[in-house]
Amino acid sequence: MSDDPPPSTEATPRRTPRAAGKAVPIFSLGRVATIAASTVTQLVRMKTFYFLLAFALVVVAVGNFNIPATPAKELSMIKKVAFGTMDIFAWLFAIVATALLIPKDVEDRTLYTILSKPVRRVEYLLGKLCGVLGVIAVSLVAMYAICALVIYSRESLFVSAEYEAMVASAQYTAAEIEEQLSLIQQQGLRAELGIAVLASFFKAAVVAAVTIFLSTFASSSLFTIIVSILLFLIGHAHHMASSFWLHESENNMAVQMLVKVIKILIPNYQLFSFSEGIVQGEAVVAALVWQMGGLTAGYLVVFLLLSLLVFVDKEF
Amino acid sequence: MSDNAVEVKNLTKVFRPGLKKEYVVAVDNLSFEVRAGEVYGLIGPNGSGKSTTMKVVLGLMAANKGSAKVFGLDSGDIRARNEIGFLPENPYFYKHLSGAETLRFYGKLCGMKGRALQDRIAELLQLVELEGAANRRLGGYSKGMLQRIGLAQSLIQNPRLVILDEPTAGVDPVGSRQIRDLILRLRDEGYTVFLCSHLLEQVQEVCDRVGILFEGRMRREGTLDELIAIENQTSMTIENASPELIAEIQNLVRSHEGTRLVEEGHSRTSLESLFIQIAERGREGKS
Amino acid sequence: MPRLVLAVIALAVFGVLRAPLEEDLRERLVAANLLLPPPGQGAFEQMSQSALMGTLGGLRSLVATFLTLNAFEHFSTKSWDDLRANYLIITNLEPRDESHWVAVIWHIGINATANMETDLRLPAFERERRFKEYAFQAIDLAERGLAQLPDSAAIRLQLAEVYREKLKDDCATARVYGEIIGLPEAPSYARRFYGYFMARCPGREEEAYEYLMDLYREGERQHLPTLIKEIKNLEEKLAIPSPQRIPDADPDRPQKMPKTPANVLPGGIVVP
Repeated sequence: MSDDPPPSTEATPRRTPRAAGKAVPIFSLGRVATIAASTVTQLVRMKTFYFLLAFALVVVAVGNFNIPATPAKELSMIKKVAFGTMDIFAWLFAIVATALLIPKDVEDRTLYTILSKPVRRVEYLLGKLCGVLGVIAVSLVAMYAICALVIYSRESLFVSAEYEAMVASAQYTAAEIEEQLSLIQQQGLRAELGIAVLASFFKAAVVAAVTIFLSTFASSSLFTIIVSILLFLIGHAHHMASSFWLHESENNMAVQMLVKVIKILIPNYQLFSFSEGIVQGEAVVAALVWQMGGLTAGYLVVFLLLSLLVFVDKEF
Repeated sequence: MSDNAVEVKNLTKVFRPGLKKEYVVAVDNLSFEVRAGEVYGLIGPNGSGKSTTMKVVLGLMAANKGSAKVFGLDSGDIRARNEIGFLPENPYFYKHLSGAETLRFYGKLCGMKGRALQDRIAELLQLVELEGAANRRLGGYSKGMLQRIGLAQSLIQNPRLVILDEPTAGVDPVGSRQIRDLILRLRDEGYTVFLCSHLLEQVQEVCDRVGILFEGRMRREGTLDELIAIENQTSMTIENASPELIAEIQNLVRSHEGTRLVEEGHSRTSLESLFIQIAERGREGKS
Repeated sequence: MPRLVLAVIALAVFGVLRAPLEEDLRERLVAANLLLPPPGQGAFEQMSQSALMGTLGGLRSLVATFLTLNAFEHFSTKSWDDLRANYLIITNLEPRDESHWVAVIWHIGINATANMETDLRLPAFERERRFKEYAFQAIDLAERGLAQLPDSAAIRLQLAEVYREKLKDDCATARVYGEIIGLPEAPSYARRFYGYFMARCPGREEEAYEYLMDLYREGERQHLPTLIKEIKNLEEKLAIPSPQRIPDADPDRPQKMPKTPANVLPGGIVVP
């Protein structure tokens, strides 16, 4: 026997049990916000924002391309590379961050402690998704700011150089100079580019929702990441594949069926590439942007519900 | 509402590992109850079904048959979980959060906010003696500290029932002792404690009632006295006894028919107690 | 895993429901030029694996931009066939980017042909054969570009330069300048150039005389030395009676539109 003070071993003593707790709301946005905020903190403290530095380096490097092209052409190239890179960063981040978060919570058993509090599983999933989307939104805004700075500085440099050259040659009327400068400004910083950033956000949001769905049943983060990227590529080839295979009569039934199945099951990511047109300088059609926003919301709701369908009964 | 904190009735849980055809019965027709205000220990070797039972009570798993209720509410009910504080075995919380942030996170999940939450965090940090490490990230916590912040987390919303899964697994004897003392304190404050362990000595020290689980079935259940007393044996511990007195007692025992001296020797301290004494002396010497 | 099966079925239902909606959206996005139609199959056949992956992965603009940089590399090494192959992919990826069309016509029609005129490593016959080949390739590229961008003045200006500077085809040059007039981004000098080259096109002298005289009558603004010179030439050719002839040009008047040298890109950037 130990020589400690004797532990209390008497039969169940009559102590006063504690009173019942407060009522719990069935669904609480507060709980969703708490999980979202913690996801943001987690991603921030994982130092994920360091990728912005890499992005800034790419954009600054591209901004200093020294190619024999017109100022308008050079600006257009800077824009395309910068916005293209922004798009890649956004969807890649959406996949990696989402694929890491939920399996990590399961592996670390953090999920046990969260789900043993009065938290609904839908609140947990929604919180995680909102957190990832929040970080993507902030990153996109930061990347856009970097791009805008580079594009604007190059644009003003080109405009003033062109203006001085044209004035010095004394061969052009004011209207002709204006016409020439507007050619450059057309490829410079315009408000429409903000819509291109929004387009990248729409795409990244859908990618994140699909990845959450995958991670509710995938066995590892690596599997989720690989499958998400694969789906992303296939989701872009959608229309190309169907127009190529479905109209070729010599293709057999099996191939046609496969293409149809892929079309039905995999999101059509190609639609979300409408930022490319905007970056090229095409006019933005507001109604289409709204409808794409609606489609994005549709994808988010459906994939969240699908995730819940798998997750709600999942045993840990 | 029921008087029982936990009521498990005919609980059966079956697993099918991978795609194999055979089934593994983790819990087999298990029934028991944890009364409000008591410390109940479920003991058994690894793989006896303790954790599975706990997960069903917590709503993390569904039973194949039978039911589990918490204060009369179905264990899957979100309201039931508001009454439960849970500390998993070897808890890993978000390493990027500090001790205080961890408590704030779980407090907010329980709908707490503002001053009330702040006060509760301070109170719990004091209870688990982690005020000094409140702003340190959990990545730098020792196992014992993690276990204590885990315990504080489980108490954040002032639940009526605290469920502890192997609360001292992997913790050194000093940390283990601190947790044991905390459990006793919780009991005195009116919490119902339901714990799972395979460390029998620890269970013996804190539990009012114990259930012994083996291969998914309840083998014995009752108060500690009922379970461990050997009815026909008596032990005495005598201080400063002279050899003459001992000889006298031995003669006395021999003179009674049917009586036999089973064991005799010097009292020994347990290795755990010895370790704790040394550690405490060392600490006092330092301060 | 019945839940997962259920989820896949739900996914399929969602897929069937969204398909017509997405097809409609896709068509409208393509019509608004915000989304590019799928690249022609020729583009895929010529693309490297990484470019193909990039294109399939929704990075068409990025791939096109890197191929443009690559094309500049071919330009500096005078690898004209590689350059053209590059631009065939680029223009397939971004058919609505006018600058790609203008650049490739300029490279093949002006630079490659100029190179053939001066590359003394090749025998004279081969140089002439290739000169014509490149010039006609440039015309073909312009036609493809105009099929994509029917209202493009820039592509036509570049095409006109090939006819004017390389093939010395005044009638074709006039025809192209004629097409430019009235386009949204037509430069003001297109009207004069149309007249100048029509004047040099055999059989159209009378039409050209009337046209240039109309311009002349617009006033002082149009009394440029070249215009006056072309009218004077026509007056001689058509034997216009003296009273109807215009006065001689003012020799002090500065020339307004200098002829653009071949090494100047649209926008005034001089290529070394």
